[in-house]
This record gives sequence, C-alpha cells and structure tokens, in this order.
Amino acid sequence: MKKKTLFLVFLAIAVIQLIVPAFMVYNNEDTLTTGTLYKFKTEPVDPNDPFRGKYVTLRYDLNSFASNESWKRKTPIFIYIEKDENDFAKITTVSKNKMDSSNDYIIGKVRWYDTYTKKVNFRLPFDRFYMEETKAKPAETVFREAQRDSLPNNTYALVAVKNGHAVLKDVLVNEKSLAAYVVE
Amino acid sequence: MSKFLNDLDELVKNNVISKNIANDIQTYYSSQKEESPNKLFAIFGVLGSLLVGLGIILIIAHNWDTFSKGIKTTFAFIPLLLAQLIVGYTILKEKSNTWKEAAGVFLFFTVGASIALISQIYNIPGNVSTFLLTWLLLCLPLVYLLKSNALAILHLVFSTYYVLKAGYFTGSYSPWKYFLLIAFIIPFYLNLLKNSPKQNIASVLNWLFPISLTMAMGAFIDTSATYGFLMYIILFGLFYNIGKIPFFNNDRLRKNGYLIIGSLGTISVLIMMSFKSFWKEIIRNDHQLSQEVYIAAILFVAALSILIYSFKKKWVHELNLFRYVFIIMAVLLFIGFGNLTIPTVLSNILILFLGLIAIKIGSNKMHFGILNYGLLIITALVIARFFDTNLSFVVRGLLFIGVGVGFFVTNYLMLKKQRTLQKKI
Repeated sequence: MKKKTLFLVFLAIAVIQLIVPAFMVYNNEDTLTTGTLYKFKTEPVDPNDPFRGKYVTLRYDLNSFASNESWKRKTPIFIYIEKDENDFAKITTVSKNKMDSSNDYIIGKVRWYDTYTKKVNFRLPFDRFYMEETKAKPAETVFREAQRDSLPNNTYALVAVKNGHAVLKDVLVNEKSLAAYVVE
Repeated sequence: MSKFLNDLDELVKNNVISKNIANDIQTYYSSQKEESPNKLFAIFGVLGSLLVGLGIILIIAHNWDTFSKGIKTTFAFIPLLLAQLIVGYTILKEKSNTWKEAAGVFLFFTVGASIALISQIYNIPGNVSTFLLTWLLLCLPLVYLLKSNALAILHLVFSTYYVLKAGYFTGSYSPWKYFLLIAFIIPFYLNLLKNSPKQNIASVLNWLFPISLTMAMGAFIDTSATYGFLMYIILFGLFYNIGKIPFFNNDRLRKNGYLIIGSLGTISVLIMMSFKSFWKEIIRNDHQLSQEVYIAAILFVAALSILIYSFKKKWVHELNLFRYVFIIMAVLLFIGFGNLTIPTVLSNILILFLGLIAIKIGSNKMHFGILNYGLLIITALVIARFFDTNLSFVVRGLLFIGVGVGFFVTNYLMLKKQRTLQKKI
C-alpha cells in the first residue's frame, strides 16, 4: 500500500475508534438528560472487572411478572413501566416484541419461566454500578446495615429511560448517593 | 565474531576462499549487526507501550469519583487521540517497524482504556466478554495496516481471553465469534510463515495458535462431554499432523508448538482413557447430533486431509503411530458405548506402544529429549495404574524399579552410541 492510502485507511479507522466511544457517550448522555427518571428497589453485591474496575452488582426487587405465555431463557423481554406515587417503577405489561404504547419500556433478558406460578423471571439490563475501588466493598456492608433499619425499601437505583434505552444514574441509600453514604 | 573476521584475511591469503567471498561474508555480518540493536529497540518499545497502556487502564479502573463527568469524559479521549496522532505520524513519516510496533500497541490499549472509562461513567452493562469484543473489533485492522507482530500477538491473546470469559461457566452459550476473530489473523500468520519463517515471532505464533485453540475448544462443549472428548482427541491429532508437515518438522523441535502440543495432548487424553472409571462415568451414548459432533467432524476431515496429503507428497517415511492414533482413539470412544473392558485395555496398550515408539524415534534421531519423553509416557502409564489396579505392592514396586532401570539403561546406551559415533567422525 502506498503511504497516502495507508494513511487514509488509518484515518478511517481512527475516526471509527473515536466515533464508537463518542456515540456511547452521546447515547447515554441523551437518555440521562432527556429520559424519564425511575426508581428501582435494589440490593448490591461487590465484584470486580479487570478493565473497568470495581462495581456493585445490583439485584432488583422488580424481577418477575405474571404472564400466560411461555418464555424461552435468555430471550429479550420488553418490560413496559410507569411510575407509582413515589416515582418507583411499576410494570404495566411485558411483551416479546415492541408494542404500540406510549409507556416507557426497558429491554431485559428472560431468566426463566415458571409454569407453576405462571410468572416470567427476568434480569434488568442496568445491573452494574461502577464505584471507586475502595468504596465498592463498604457499599455492600452499608447496604446490609441500611437494610436492617426498620425503614423498608431504603435502597434504590435511579434510572433514566428513553426509547427502550436505560442508563443507571445513581444508587441511593436513605436518599443519599451510595458513594457519599460510604464515605460517612 | 571479530576473531572470525580476522581469520578471513588469512583464509584469503592461503587461497582457501576468494577475495569476493570474504567481502560478502563481511558485509553479511555487518548487516546482521545493524539489525540486532533494532530488534532490541522494538522489543523494549513494545514492552514500554504495553506497560504504559496497561497502567492507564489500571489507573482508570480506580474510578475517580471526585472528578466530574465532563473531566472524566475528556480523559477518556485524550490518550486515545494522542495515540492516534502518534500512529498517524508514524505512517506519514514512514517510520521504522520499531515505531509502528510500539505506537500500535499503545493505540491498542488506549482504545481499551477509552471504552472502559465510558462504560464506567455511564454504568454501561455487559460483562467482560462483550467489552473485549468491542475492543478487539475496533483494533482489528491495525494488525494489517501497521503490519505489526506485537498487535497480532495481542489480538490472539485477547481473543483467547474473550473465548475463555464468554464460553466457560456461561451455560449453553457458545462464543462462535472467536473463530471469526482467529480467522481474521490467519492471513497475517501465513504471510509471516511464508516470508520470514526463521524469525522468532513465527515460532511464538506456532505456539500461540495451538495453545489458543486448545483452550478455546472447551468453550464449545455444550451438552455432550463424550463428544467433547472426541473433539479434543481429533484436535490433538490435527495438531500433530500439522507439526509433521516438513515445513514445521524440519525446523527445530522447540519451535514446533503443533507437534509438541499435539503429542502431549494425545497422551494426556489417552491416560484418562486408560482408567476404567473414565468409561464408566463419563462416556455415554448421546444419541442426538449435537454441535460437538459437527465440530469433531470438521476437525476430523481437516486432520484426515492433511494425513492423505502427506502420503501423496511422500512426507510419510516411517510408521509413526502418533500420526494415526487419533483415529484409533475415536473408534475406541464409540466401542466404549457398549463395552468397558476393551477400550480400557486397548488404551493401556496404546500408551505403552506410543512410549516405545517415542523411545525408538529418540534413539534413531539421537535426541535425548524425545527418548526421555518416551520413558516419561511409560512412567505416566505405570503411575496411573499404581492408583487403580489391585496389583500387589510387590508387583507395583517391581514395575517402578523396571522403568527406573529403563531410564538409566536407555540413556546410557544412547550416550555410548553417541560417543562411538563422534569417535568415528
């Protein structure tokens, strides 16, 4: 290859290498700023990622819904939600495909379908919350202690939702950001 | 070296070689000298980039939550842009390979750092394997664009990492994309083998390819352990036969990863097959045609084609059981569906034969390594039988003494043979 074409090809690659992360930024920023904010009751545990650092895995109370259809494992599930009086997310319906509905929706993954209780169990996509490396482990402890308080449902995730795309904004314990809560 | 060059004058004086040849020799060695520090530079350059790149990723992994989102996002792009500028400059100024290798490696890691940081800022879901896949795809073309050996190695290593993360302990998921990732650098590898087979980098890849495939194959075992074993049996047979192609076989043994991994793998599986419990507990007739059967079939066709081609090209001179043993082992596996004793006994006999054959090859080639490898195979067989047979301690003791004496005697005989041969010369 001649120097010039070589450089042009590289330029194209470099642009793609920039566009992909830039698009990731744009896409998430857009949902965060213009999407609707929902609260999801949650509980965190602390694992590790070799490249992206420590995070807490979030398990959500909202993880199943009654359905008469049979569901296959690991298939996408469209979860339509609305807010209850305290801004917590409440499922209106679930579907295998995108529906004509003005409600917000999230695309989760089916974990299993219980034919006995007629409930489909699913995983919400925003299950990772990255934290400063010294704070991830205490976050788990803090959560457990907060849970022991008599107040019910005091830990929740704040999630922005727009056009099926969901971005986890923050995790709050007793109305305080988890990271700030750990420092105290 | 300088002493040798001084000798050239004397050789010319005494009419042993002509003046022209002496000049040629001199220019050859001086050109070699120029190349060697460059190679060292390349290695240090790549190592430096590798460490700096990994360092950036680790610092990012700390998660600096005191910085605002804007600052963090800026930091996600600064190293990437910097690396792109360096690579762009390298291409425009047609810098040396050292530059290309080092800059390429740096760019590779800054791409990873950039998407890692953004994933972190926005809590983007997805496990390590999806992250690795995005990363690898973004850096794929650089391997060819920069003709970088270091990037090819990184690509292979990270593809293997991807398949391990995506394929093991994930239920029935099979990461087929791994094969695409591997297929992508095969042209680069073949080109390297064609143009510079003597380079160290070629032998590094001769090892990395079979290692990667051996590690990856298990990720594609979904439902049938039995056919999973069949996959590995044939894979090792394929490796051995690739290693026996004169192109690899005529070079030094330590550069031939295919041959060594193929041989060691075959023996390891055979040792497992020599236990009765293996046939009792693992092997069962899984009637359905699962993906394991298809993979095994494809590998079998590949191995058999190489074998037939080798015969056609008259590359096969002696009867070497190692070449064909995968076929026998595959047949044994099917016999094992109905019978425990026959395959157990035959596996034991096979190991013994392979050990003896390795000893014979070793003594023919006067290669102590291969000779002792044969003895080790037999030792492994004896140790395996030590655990699961009801032979009396006396018999087992005698077996051990027998093999131990075998080590001494064979090595001694070969040493003596070598000495007499040297004396004759």
